[in-house]
Amino acid sequence: MIQLHNVSLTYQKDASALNNINLKIGKGEFVFLTGPSGAGKTSLLRLLYGAIIPNSGQVLIDGQNITRLSASQIPLLRRSIGVVFQDFKLLQNRTVFENVAISLEVLGWGRGDIGKKTMHMLKQMGIESKYNLSTQRLSGGEQQRVALARALVNDPKILLADEPTGNLDDANKNQILTIFKEANIRGTTVVVATHDRRLIEQGHKRIVMLNKGEIVEQVEKETAGDDQAF
Amino acid sequence: MNKWKKKQPETIKLFKRPTLAGDGFGGRARFYLSRAVTNIRQNIFVNVVTIGTITLALLIVSLFLLVFVNLESAAENWSERVQVTVYFDKELAPQEQIAIREKIFALSGVSRVSYVSRAEALKRFKSRLRGQETLLEGVRPEVLPTSFEIALKRSHRDTVSVENFVTALKRIQGITEVQYGEEWVRRFNSFLNFMRLLGALLGGFLVIAVVFIVSNTIKLTIYSRRDELEVMSLVGATRFFIKAPFLLEGLLQGFAGSVLAIALLFCLYEGFLHNAGNFLAFNTVTSGLNFLPLEFIFGLLLAGAMLGFIGSLTSIKRFINV
Repeated sequence: MIQLHNVSLTYQKDASALNNINLKIGKGEFVFLTGPSGAGKTSLLRLLYGAIIPNSGQVLIDGQNITRLSASQIPLLRRSIGVVFQDFKLLQNRTVFENVAISLEVLGWGRGDIGKKTMHMLKQMGIESKYNLSTQRLSGGEQQRVALARALVNDPKILLADEPTGNLDDANKNQILTIFKEANIRGTTVVVATHDRRLIEQGHKRIVMLNKGEIVEQVEKETAGDDQAF
Repeated sequence: MNKWKKKQPETIKLFKRPTLAGDGFGGRARFYLSRAVTNIRQNIFVNVVTIGTITLALLIVSLFLLVFVNLESAAENWSERVQVTVYFDKELAPQEQIAIREKIFALSGVSRVSYVSRAEALKRFKSRLRGQETLLEGVRPEVLPTSFEIALKRSHRDTVSVENFVTALKRIQGITEVQYGEEWVRRFNSFLNFMRLLGALLGGFLVIAVVFIVSNTIKLTIYSRRDELEVMSLVGATRFFIKAPFLLEGLLQGFAGSVLAIALLFCLYEGFLHNAGNFLAFNTVTSGLNFLPLEFIFGLLLAGAMLGFIGSLTSIKRFINV
């Protein structure tokens, strides 16, 4: 599903953010990207949704080299990728419903379908009763669930998360992790960048460790029955 | 990059948008419009500031236009005084009058020709010397000349046209003495040109200032909503999808601003200005300032809408690069 071949990225001339990265993530996989701050986790994710283009190397998503996409093709790529962030990136002056519906409006769905699908998603996230509230009035955990609903409502093939639990307490972390796992079970490839040890240990998934822009270690922790633990 | 695209366009098999209810041009247009209206409602403060700025800016421009249009029309009135007089030292017989009148009318640029007989000339002389009629005692009409007074069409009142007209006039048989106040015509026309130049300069600066202020205000409002642009881009909105509501919003803001500006101008006009313009006319009979003609009002409405639209268009470009 995701393949990176010899990918290098430099923001400024001397400082390289990613150095010769080779990585394959299969369809339906669940991967944690980890490493200290500045290791290149965020840069790697940004490469995957086409926000930046590498200086060299290829980024293939579903067999397609996205470094060669034109500006008008990038939106089409992003429709099959859900992204969530530590700071949620919700629209503060809009309601919960509107924040989630935006993903479907972009696809050109009709009002009725948007309403049904959005409410269904909010129900899955357990926040359907708050659909008409402004996102400013929600707790951190609820806001992240809105962001997740927005990312997942159009059934993306890939879900990318950048420090999704950075601002949350333990109870909320578990809930968010459960949502990731459920999405993964439904077939979405999930890539989570985090330096939260607890999240990784509970995840029991493949771990890719980055340091100074290079992959330093890869650990496979997949064991049967893990998913039932949550 | 382009080469690659041309070679293998069929490999781009990206995720097409499903065609569902509410699709098609009408559905989309309605969606963008409702989005724009919702945006205005949700960002009411920012929108009030923008519309207020556009209103004030256009009010200044329209006030300037009002003054300029009225100065122009006053100038038109003054130019009625551009008149050519042909003198004769004898009373003309009716046939002679008709013959000369026809010849004069045959020249281009003539709007009115009137004959002033000796009796008429004396009457005018008397009315000019009102209160000192004794001076005219013993003056007989025979000492006064008769004349044709020729008024010119608007397009023929500039210095060169008047001079050409007089040259042509002198070629008519029987016409020897022509007067037309050369100095006055020359001064009046140079004053008119100066006024137009000043108007164009002032108006030009004013328009530049207005465009600058309005586009910066719009830029700030879009900057305050850059997170919205980022989110839209993240969920896969095309550039057009992101832009359209903002552009419509700009259009609505500009239109609302210009409607308000014209309404305010009308209030100002009704309240203060409409009878304040007597100083512009030589004779006090004429009324004061006129309101802007209809085509200027439509022009202002259009300019406001375009100002909002283009302001949004140029501002939004900078922020769609997530």
